[in-house]
Amino acid sequence: MGAAYATFSKLTLCLQTLSWITARRRFFLIVTVGCILPARVPAQEHGETAIVDQKTIQQMMQRIDQLEARVHELEAERSIPELSTTANSISPSNSVLQPVGSHVLAEASAAPEENLLDPEKMDVSKTLLHIRGFADFGLAGTTQKGNSAAFGMGELNLFITSNISDKLKFLSELVFENQGPFSPQANDFNVDVERALLEYSYNDHLNLTIGRYHTAIGYYNTAYHSSAWMQTAIGRPFLFAFEEDGGILPLHEVGLSASGQIPSSGLGLHYVTEVGNGRGTRTPINSAAEETVDISNHKSETVALFARPDRVPGLQIGFSAYRETLEPIYSEKIGEAIWDAYAMLARGRFEWLTEGVLIRHNVNGTSRVYKTPGFYSQFSRRFGSFAPYCSYQYINAPVGEPIFPDVGLRTGPSAGVRYDATESVAFKLQYDYTSLRRLQPINSLGLQVGFTF
Amino acid sequence: MKGSVQAARVLPKAVFVLILGLSPMVGAGDLPQRKVKPEQALAIVVNRSNQVDNLSTDELRKIFLGSRSHWPNGRRITIAMLDYEQAERKAALRQIYKMDEDAYRNHFLKEEYRGNVFAVPKTLTSPEVMRKFIFNAPGAIGYLRASDVDESVKVLRIDGRLPDDKDYTLQIDEPL
Repeated sequence: MGAAYATFSKLTLCLQTLSWITARRRFFLIVTVGCILPARVPAQEHGETAIVDQKTIQQMMQRIDQLEARVHELEAERSIPELSTTANSISPSNSVLQPVGSHVLAEASAAPEENLLDPEKMDVSKTLLHIRGFADFGLAGTTQKGNSAAFGMGELNLFITSNISDKLKFLSELVFENQGPFSPQANDFNVDVERALLEYSYNDHLNLTIGRYHTAIGYYNTAYHSSAWMQTAIGRPFLFAFEEDGGILPLHEVGLSASGQIPSSGLGLHYVTEVGNGRGTRTPINSAAEETVDISNHKSETVALFARPDRVPGLQIGFSAYRETLEPIYSEKIGEAIWDAYAMLARGRFEWLTEGVLIRHNVNGTSRVYKTPGFYSQFSRRFGSFAPYCSYQYINAPVGEPIFPDVGLRTGPSAGVRYDATESVAFKLQYDYTSLRRLQPINSLGLQVGFTF
Repeated sequence: MKGSVQAARVLPKAVFVLILGLSPMVGAGDLPQRKVKPEQALAIVVNRSNQVDNLSTDELRKIFLGSRSHWPNGRRITIAMLDYEQAERKAALRQIYKMDEDAYRNHFLKEEYRGNVFAVPKTLTSPEVMRKFIFNAPGAIGYLRASDVDESVKVLRIDGRLPDDKDYTLQIDEPL
């Protein structure tokens, strides 16, 4: 009995050292051995020869020794860090852990787990394009003479990005849109490369971009670009209407841009500087950006500063200045300067945008100076899926303005409601009242569904 | 009677003074400090080659929001998130982003569209995949349940504290 107990104790101790055996399995093993041993002990006590018992015990001891040896073997195997297992699974050729770095990364690129690896590695068998789409459809009518209510397809926008390398990124926005209300082919669609940029990101303080971009004038232009779904209201404020829609600001440029953060502690200062072809003049028919040909060597310059203070989450305030020399074929060169200041607060359920612009044109060689002020302000508050909003916009181009002869005074309120049916689909209903100089005011009603996909 | 009224007036004052007097004796060190269990702590992990050891809570938030996109050595930061509905992701959204899933999605949708973030976060299926991704991507940052951390990744201090330390703030609400 004593020998059996000793055997049982040794076996139990041995099993307890088997850390890889779960507690539950260990318990069953001990219980099983505990049951077997006493069953054999009575046989010994009831007259079976001691030789047989000793043989059995010896066999069991040998078996225990074998188990102990196996335990040591397994523990030795398990003592190799799990890390090497990870390394091996990523790079089968590595039997031990190697320093983490580009070398390991490069080797690992050939491993089956390529999905886990740095996505910036160029792999010709894979596309590196990420595509997101935006689109909108609408129904609108106004009291303006000659206009009738009509369904309309807004824009079909394919936003395409690609991380070419760790520092290089391509971004583009291809928009399928109608020719604009000023075009004789207003119902025809064309493809507009709204943005096409190659961005080099050196660090947080310096990003260089070349291509066609939306100018950093103000907030609205670079916040919503060409997505109706993203903006709260149905359309852009007239101040920030695109050139082909009769807008007065140079919102597109082809050129070079530098941007980044300015070390400013909690102020969150950022800068943007741009040098581009600018626009030769403004025509209400064609896009004004000089895509490939600049009629002069003079380039447009834009400087923008904005702050996103840590202490007021959701607040952004900014300022921008733009300078260009316009060269209309029918008059003298015209110096153009545009100043913009804005404040935007998007916090919780509230959103508030206010932006003011002053456009100054001076005809070279004369004392004629034309100043066109404008502003808009928009406020919305969300109630569940609904977000009622209201806005007011104003623009006043002086009589005789050489670049905006068709604009004059436009001012009036708008009110509407946005309903987010899903996280990707929004319905909007909006009423606009626009007062014009020497013309009848216009009442407009619009319905729009905008979505992202 | 007069004496008992006076005693009733004095007694609360005496108790107040006693409490005031005793309060300095209860030092911060005497108070029971919170220690997060390893399986409940959310460890912030980076590649082992990353030279950064410590981040403040604000820096951590800026990194995960994409506002800060480069490490001090110039390498681009790649944010790794665990898949939807995982307890670690919920903890990261609540404590780092301070957002829900919708706000998180809208944030990156808008910021990418505006060109303010270089790349949106990678979504990974499991802690094992997260470990492998962090191991392989030198600029990666992610998170793991502290009990899931192994030697293949480096754990960052947040406000000077590691997940084992007292008063480590990043916690997972849901038990393992």
